[in-house]
Amino acid sequence: MSGVIETSGLGKSFAKKNAVNELNLNVPEGSIFAFLGPNGSGKTTTIKMVMNIIEPTVGTATVLGVKSSNLSSKEFAQIGYVSENQEIPEWMTVRRLVNYCKPYYPTWDEAFCDTLLKQFQLPLDQPLKSLSRGMKMKATLASSLAYRPRLLVLDEPFSGLDVLVRDEFIRGVLELSEQEHWTVFVSSHDIDEVERLADWVGMMKDGELQLCEPVSSLQARFRKIEAVVPAGTQAPTECPDSWLLVEQIGHRLSFVDSQYQDRETESRLKAQLPSCEQIDSSPMSLRDIFLTLARTYRL
Amino acid sequence: MLPFIVHFKSGMPVYEQVLLAVKRAVTAGRLVPGDKFPSVRILSQELRINPNTAHKVISALVEAGLLRVQPGIGTIVGQTRAVTAEQRQQLLEQEVERLVVEARMISLGLEELLTAVRRAWSQLAREQK
Repeated sequence: MSGVIETSGLGKSFAKKNAVNELNLNVPEGSIFAFLGPNGSGKTTTIKMVMNIIEPTVGTATVLGVKSSNLSSKEFAQIGYVSENQEIPEWMTVRRLVNYCKPYYPTWDEAFCDTLLKQFQLPLDQPLKSLSRGMKMKATLASSLAYRPRLLVLDEPFSGLDVLVRDEFIRGVLELSEQEHWTVFVSSHDIDEVERLADWVGMMKDGELQLCEPVSSLQARFRKIEAVVPAGTQAPTECPDSWLLVEQIGHRLSFVDSQYQDRETESRLKAQLPSCEQIDSSPMSLRDIFLTLARTYRL
Repeated sequence: MLPFIVHFKSGMPVYEQVLLAVKRAVTAGRLVPGDKFPSVRILSQELRINPNTAHKVISALVEAGLLRVQPGIGTIVGQTRAVTAEQRQQLLEQEVERLVVEARMISLGLEELLTAVRRAWSQLAREQK
């Protein structure tokens, strides 16, 4: 199946420096795709190319099957976009903003919009410029969800939001899952913000995509391995490449296997280190996998 | 409101944490046979988790016999089945061994571990009342 967002060899350079390099990204329909990476790794640049806000230096991006440079109001009427550094008409009231957006979207759902405004506890008659950052983000989100977009693109939506507002925001995003076609593409530099939400992840480092796969497959292949070894044992020297962060402290040996296979990892360890005992493998949370990769690749 | 509570912690996959919370509610009697179980949508929205994860949790509970699919209603809590000898064996051997290994890894003493087990046991018993 083709992706809701697809990029092929997408790249952007600013003053000879590659901000994004040969990016091949595929965001499947129905996924909540977390686009992770530290600040400055090329996430926003990628999103801006995908949304046709800036032009790529090389390569192409397609959204909902249409090349980004050919996106028209027909497609934009099915895409919601909320970015941390989006410009909004600050002088408008929340009510005015909503009424202003409505005519552009044939699928605008009045009742849903009212529900969202109530749920977000937005003051309808105050100008946006008098509202807190969290309130402004919620107002933008409400006006981007009200037409039930097929694709919601969120660029660092949570940075600077307090925990309660973030929670309300996520609750709002999940409302989309009630409709037939929906996909969420959310960028973040903080795994904690999206851990429970994502079922696909892409990880960026220095403008390159390090990894792009379903969370379920990541969780199937990553295991934390722990074993007890006699004191003074030499740590295994020739580890397979898939063993990350091999560490031995006292009696305790631990590492993360990124290509775990039931029993195989255990017998391989036993072969390397016959004296080790009580080999234990445990599944890892997305957060722990992310931290392992970040430490390994120095993200 | 959900009929069970999940305190999300880091370190354990989200899916397993929700599964554990539901089993906990069943053993504590907060969910009894015949109770209606929340839908994928409610589960996802209330816990702020991915709808696919919520779906996976419900499928696993149905497969384990803890939930039953009731056409037209959704899923309801099923009769707790008689526990097989095999399941008891598994708990006693694998799960307990795992706990002991974990405890020894962080140099917990047997008494400390037993105290913690007793505390958790009576906590559940209190919730049952």
